[in-house]
Amino acid sequence: MNCRSEVLEVTVEARQVEEAMLALLHTILLHRSTGKFHYKKEGTYSIGTVGTQDIDCDFIDFTFVRVSSEELDRVIRKAVSEFKDALSSDGMGQISLEFYQKKKSRWPFSDECIPWEVWSIKVSVVNLANEQERQICREKVGEKLGEKVINVVEVINRHEYLPKMPTQSEVDNVFDTSLKDVQPYLYKITYQITDSLGTSVSTTMRRLIKDTLAL
Amino acid sequence: MAHFETEYQRLEASYSDSPPGEENLLMHVPEGSKSQWHHIENLDLFFQRVYNLHQKNGFTCMLLGEIFELVQLLFVVGFTVFLANCVDYDVLFANKFVNHTDSSKVTLPDAILPMDVCSAHIRDNAFVIFVLIISGVFWLHRLVKFLYNVCCYWEIKSFYINALKMSMSELPYATWQEVQARIIEIQKEHQICIHKKELTELDIYHRILRFKNYMVAMVNKSLLPVRFRLPVLGDSVFYTRGLKYNFELIFFWGPGSLFENEWSLKQEYKRGGNRLELADRLASRILWIGIANLLLCPVILVWQILYAFFSYTEIIKREPGSLGARCWSLYGRCYLRHFNELDHELMSRLSKGYKAASKYMNCFLSPLLTVVAKNVAFFAGSLLAVLIALTIYDEDVLAVEHVLSSLTLLGVCITICRSFIPDKHMVFCPEQLLRVILAHIHYMPDHWQGNAHRYETRDQFSQLFQYKAVFILEELLSPVVTPIILIFCLRRKSLEIIDFFRNFTVEVIGVGDTCSFAQMDIRQHGHPAWMSEGKTEASIYQQAEDGKTELSLMHFAITNPHWQPPRETTHFISQLKERVHREAAGASSETHPLSLSESEPRSLVANILAGPSTLGSVHFACDSSLTNNAVTGMPSAATALRSLSPISSSLHLRGSLSAAHRASGFTGRAMTGSGTDARTVSSGSSAWEGQLSSLVLSEYASTEMSIHALYMHELHKQQSRGDLSRHTWHRQESDESSDSIPDEVRSEPNTRSQNFPRSQTFPATLPSPGASSASATSGTNKGHDGEKAQSSSQRRHSGPAADHFGTAGKVVRTARVPMGGWAEDGKASSRHHEPVQEETSEDELPPHIHKVT
Repeated sequence: MNCRSEVLEVTVEARQVEEAMLALLHTILLHRSTGKFHYKKEGTYSIGTVGTQDIDCDFIDFTFVRVSSEELDRVIRKAVSEFKDALSSDGMGQISLEFYQKKKSRWPFSDECIPWEVWSIKVSVVNLANEQERQICREKVGEKLGEKVINVVEVINRHEYLPKMPTQSEVDNVFDTSLKDVQPYLYKITYQITDSLGTSVSTTMRRLIKDTLAL
Repeated sequence: MAHFETEYQRLEASYSDSPPGEENLLMHVPEGSKSQWHHIENLDLFFQRVYNLHQKNGFTCMLLGEIFELVQLLFVVGFTVFLANCVDYDVLFANKFVNHTDSSKVTLPDAILPMDVCSAHIRDNAFVIFVLIISGVFWLHRLVKFLYNVCCYWEIKSFYINALKMSMSELPYATWQEVQARIIEIQKEHQICIHKKELTELDIYHRILRFKNYMVAMVNKSLLPVRFRLPVLGDSVFYTRGLKYNFELIFFWGPGSLFENEWSLKQEYKRGGNRLELADRLASRILWIGIANLLLCPVILVWQILYAFFSYTEIIKREPGSLGARCWSLYGRCYLRHFNELDHELMSRLSKGYKAASKYMNCFLSPLLTVVAKNVAFFAGSLLAVLIALTIYDEDVLAVEHVLSSLTLLGVCITICRSFIPDKHMVFCPEQLLRVILAHIHYMPDHWQGNAHRYETRDQFSQLFQYKAVFILEELLSPVVTPIILIFCLRRKSLEIIDFFRNFTVEVIGVGDTCSFAQMDIRQHGHPAWMSEGKTEASIYQQAEDGKTELSLMHFAITNPHWQPPRETTHFISQLKERVHREAAGASSETHPLSLSESEPRSLVANILAGPSTLGSVHFACDSSLTNNAVTGMPSAATALRSLSPISSSLHLRGSLSAAHRASGFTGRAMTGSGTDARTVSSGSSAWEGQLSSLVLSEYASTEMSIHALYMHELHKQQSRGDLSRHTWHRQESDESSDSIPDEVRSEPNTRSQNFPRSQTFPATLPSPGASSASATSGTNKGHDGEKAQSSSQRRHSGPAADHFGTAGKVVRTARVPMGGWAEDGKASSRHHEPVQEETSEDELPPHIHKVT
């Protein structure tokens, strides 16, 4: 695995799941997005602007900043709500945001997606008995999320590997250019329910085949 | 500039004096990923391929080799079937008369059955069809694999050409050290590995040898059931490719193996909590794999026999003596391998020791056999002589039935007999020979020293260095024996295996999970009897046997002079080097033994050199000629040798006087080879860069390593003689513990009670599972946290884990004190925990055999 992996863990109430996930995912994506690139002649480009937006949470005492792109927000919301629906009322789950690069391969093989950074957010859902506890939880989760955001920023501030800025022909291998107003690094959101995070059968099979083929 | 629907709009007014145009925008220049080599997904595989391509001398050689192998396979199967079904042997043996109108000669085509008869034969024979199907499937598998490999290695080839800037034609002449240096160079530019800015040599070795290091460590700690005490054969070792393949399948990559992927152990195996459950799971998996082996046994057996038949009959016919020749056994290669030693390094080391080793084995020809062989050879020789004389007189003799075959048989018989008759001029000097061997193989059990002339020593050495015939036989037996070993021996060890992987796996940033022994950290795995006294904090369980940690460390530091070890380790290395230098200097002025600071009886190096004058003289003869060309300011590898040169010249004289030793003769030959090269090269060696220099360096390195190995063994011997009581017993104890396992498994059905003494050496196994596992786990956890904080730190675990191991070690050590009784247990002093095996890459059997098994 030639990629960094960061793990964030949060404990929330069922109704807070969506907002908490959005807060974290958007925070990470805020730092992993740029404005659209506009290539002039081969060799130079300019970067468009990116707006930001403050979002207040309903169920948590927390406000976060996100890229002001409705499209991006829609995509994330969709993934998160799927995750929320799959998550039972008091279970564990993990949602991961993986940044990858595409590498073009020769004909018989499909393009490889090589991850360079994976953020895993582990969520455990708790049930609370009364309103007072909910109030406390509301504040607690807010504080926790604040810490996480600081964490994220610390990680991102380190000088570590980032894909190099691509030329025009390669821009699709590094950035997600499908959005109109913003250009995040290529990312993928996946989630897993249950706490046994064992390798799936398909990975094992794939590896078995690969191994038998290897010299 | 694009306009976005954001809340932050441009204030048009304020830009009034500069027109809103694109000219004023900040322009960027893309760096572009000019190379595709940044950030490679699977670095393990990548480095392995880079290494393989280098070892196979470039793309074309590899391609051709593989194609020929495919063709050969087809040929083997096709030809066998043809011989069995399509040849009319009656015609060939002239039992049947052939009607020819024009001539009376029998031609080859006469003996071949027509197509239809032939195919009918094949169709009727279920066994042949069975064999055909198996080989067909096998061949297709190889074909697919071949195509896949071509694609993969094509990429590696372009990596060599574009990134490393080495053409395929110069690859065979470049050393691995050079290639490695370029990879390290390239990392700075391309960031192949994204975790660190710079790669070290050790990182690359770790990745290439990740699993091999585990195997070496497991053999070193006698964890694998490869030694057995059999009723008739006595102490014996069974380790074949098939078995090795199965071990790897179980531990490293098979379905449900302990490793999640090539670089990380599954999380649950890192925690001690449910080790019993995991052990159960492992045991049942081993059982299933054993059963699968049992079911596939006929298939594999047929294949092995076919393959052996075709690979070896030709050789046996050509030189029947070759079966009497020896080779390093698979176990030997594993036992003798250093941690972090690549295949080619091991092979060259072992090959250098080959002559001395076979010489040593030949010292032990049984006198009884010799007498018999002499006489058999005499009678066979007379018959042969008569027959040949008659043939020369009239060649019609050859036409008489069986004359030609008896000639051949007699010839074979004489050749075999001759191999049992010792050379008349050979001098029996096993002790010296063993010393020469040690200089190359670097490892041997303590009790061999001084017992070189004993038959037991020979027997044990033969486990490392076996007859080729035995090797082939074992390979043929392997399909039958492997499932038995898996089901009855390995399964019992599942708990120990689980503990081993948990205790000896560390996570290194930028490398992943590796065997902690391979870190070569004296503090964690040093053995007090091997010069790391006072530096090591390892419990007996954690100490590597036979000074493996220390010797591996020296070996790695010498072969990779640019490697920068951690501080303590540097200290150890420089201290040792300095000592060897000093000893050498002391030895040169033998008249002033007082100049030695240590109270050791005279200089150790002097001992080493004086003892086997053979080795000393020859080695240093080469070196001294080298140093005459004196290159000042050579890198450290060379300095050691330089400092040795004064003695060497004196010894050289002495050596040549005592050249009566045949032994010196042959080492001489062996060494002069490399010596000459080195000399010629170094005469023009103002330029240390470039291909030549690294070549010279590696040749120096092997000599220097030999000296260090001898020195360390000598020191170890003196040290253990010094406080015999302590070191001997704990050596024996650990030997015992390791050895005893297969024995008890075999002889005592009720192992539980027997387990007890063993658990002392493997303290983490039974007595305090809680403590040990807890410490290991917390070590791991801390490591994880720590890593986040200090990404720059090279070793995640070094801090916290070391502490934990330290404490665990202390606990264990107190437990050890009351166990003095073990010394008696170790009465099997003659018994050795010996060898270990592993295979490197190629020997006679084709690489695909182990795939089937």
